[in-house]
Amino acid sequence: MTLRNGLLTLLNLLSSTRFSSVCLATVLFATTAAASDAGASFREQLSRLPFKIAFESYINDNWEIFVMDADGSNPVNLTQTPKEHEHYPQVSPDGTRICFLEDEGEGRDTIRSLYVMDADGQHRKKLVDHAREPFWCPDGKAIGFLPQEYPKFNVLDYYTTGMSFYELSTGKIEPHPNSTNLHHLYNPCFAPNGKWIVATVHAGMGVSHGMMLIEAHGDKIINLKIPGCRPCFSPDGKQIAWGPGDHEIAAAPINLDSDEPLVGERRVRIQDATNKIYHVDWSPDSRFLCLSRGPNGKGDLSKPGTFQSACEIVGVHAAGWNLCAVSAERDGILDLLHATEADFTMLTTNGFSNKESAWLWPNRKQENKQ
Amino acid sequence: MGKTGCWASLAIAAILTGCGRSGPNSESVRTPAVNSGSTTPPISDRAEVVTKSGVEMVYLPAGEFIMGSDKGNPDEAPPHRVRLSAFLIDKYEVTHAMFSKAQLPNPSHWRDNPKKPVERVRWRDAKQYCNERSLLEGLRACYNEKTADLDCDYAANGYRLPTEAEWEYACRAGAEEPYDFGPAEKLRQHGWFADNGDQKTHLVGEKKPNRWGLFDLYGNVSEWCEDVYSPTYYRESPPVDPQGPPNPGKDVKRVMRGGSWKASADMCRASFRLGERTGDTDACFYTDYCGFRCVRRARPEELSELQKIR
Repeated sequence: MTLRNGLLTLLNLLSSTRFSSVCLATVLFATTAAASDAGASFREQLSRLPFKIAFESYINDNWEIFVMDADGSNPVNLTQTPKEHEHYPQVSPDGTRICFLEDEGEGRDTIRSLYVMDADGQHRKKLVDHAREPFWCPDGKAIGFLPQEYPKFNVLDYYTTGMSFYELSTGKIEPHPNSTNLHHLYNPCFAPNGKWIVATVHAGMGVSHGMMLIEAHGDKIINLKIPGCRPCFSPDGKQIAWGPGDHEIAAAPINLDSDEPLVGERRVRIQDATNKIYHVDWSPDSRFLCLSRGPNGKGDLSKPGTFQSACEIVGVHAAGWNLCAVSAERDGILDLLHATEADFTMLTTNGFSNKESAWLWPNRKQENKQ
Repeated sequence: MGKTGCWASLAIAAILTGCGRSGPNSESVRTPAVNSGSTTPPISDRAEVVTKSGVEMVYLPAGEFIMGSDKGNPDEAPPHRVRLSAFLIDKYEVTHAMFSKAQLPNPSHWRDNPKKPVERVRWRDAKQYCNERSLLEGLRACYNEKTADLDCDYAANGYRLPTEAEWEYACRAGAEEPYDFGPAEKLRQHGWFADNGDQKTHLVGEKKPNRWGLFDLYGNVSEWCEDVYSPTYYRESPPVDPQGPPNPGKDVKRVMRGGSWKASADMCRASFRLGERTGDTDACFYTDYCGFRCVRRARPEELSELQKIR
């Protein structure tokens, strides 16, 4: 089957379904882009992307936020604050700003605060103390965050209670309408359609552990009933990626326009039986995934500004951890231990606790205007 | 929460009189022969106190007992005589109500009643709780939070996990049989375990206490101890205040004692030993039977400051 015939077949198939024209355009763009990449190595494909990737790294006894090109080249330290510990970068939908967390103090007296800065590291501003795991609203006008459960610091990721939103234009903080019923959430992510927020819950909200779909402007809560943690919606709003366990990242379809969204069969399964793989994030075109990968560990208390717990947790030093990128368009299982450079690319190799990647489309505003 | 109300007439003065007599810090200790039997002090030497943060504890006087068994699993042998200093031990397993006072993230599965014991608690989280409770009461924390294993300073006056020997001494209450109350058939009266636990935890203090007046030592949740687990430790264990073998550094397990709601009657025996991974690298520790209770040292001058229970 030629490429042209394949595209025509795909178009016929799609036009017979209830896919919208927007979806058709997206699929066409993706398919065409993939076709144009034929013959290029995976790293070359990444190098042609207009995207960058923000991430946290522990370097010179300090947590910093870096930005690099999508193929891992040209890393730039955005924070460069030898005495302040920044991590958990989250990029605004228009690609112009990054919110992040900063830890000040030591041990149980540590204060974790929410900050925002421009995507080039300028105009840094503190927003809220005792805030955890921020996430951008789809319109970029507010940043959601999870208030810390008690004032005293604890590194565990589910040490949260409720959910709030910081309005960037006014500085006003508004609780989620169902905030009093939200407890022990972590790693929230807003659906691109603005209807849902997905997050993991541990020992709270009546469940032992689960992934919950929380109505953004109401009180509906749906247990997605999928195992694991750290869910992330694709920017096209059609898929969800998450970690079903320590050694797998999965992606599956989800219909977020429904009032009762369901997660479909796992389409993509990235596995690594030796290393932990975590912190999946979608590229802005929903074609690639970035994830963190490294050996099991419980941190290194000799390093300033770090804590001891499972090494994937924010603030815990993950020795030997690096970022890698894989295609999200390839169905089936990808075993990283036996994969080649044609299947995935290591974006960092220094092992400096590189985690929590967030894709960035630097000139998205201008491109969208054109 | 049921109370036995016994021993109410005991005065702190009586405790203080008794507590220095066999402490290892005040005299040299020789190792008695195993076959000479237990010399655990009489039950009447115990006393109940309430700590500054409102936790009920039981004072156990210094004494000797036969630790282990030659009728159980290989890791319980050989039975050997152990001498312990006096200490205070929680009357109940640490509950949600107690845990929330420490302002720590509660990982428990069954949270429908504040009087249920916490579970899914990692060894490290249990030690963190001990430190928080110490700080709440103005005591010197036992655990060094800057060390990977939160190394224990046994000389500190704060709370810590019991050593394995302290736990068994508390459970046996002078008995040399598998259970201090007698035959296994009576376990239903004293603990929640697989046969009566209904696959979940239960409010602490609902079953009968042991002879020291301690509740739920048999079943409900298994209880973390301070010690590294080694199946051969009893062959080399010191006779006075043993603190477990050194940390081997890799694949470390820590001791859990007492059985749980999902344990067999055999696993609830006083000498039954369980080695459990501490869950340090596991963000979601799912072992919903792992709980604990705290101890602290019991020097006379410290005891005199504690409120005597009615």
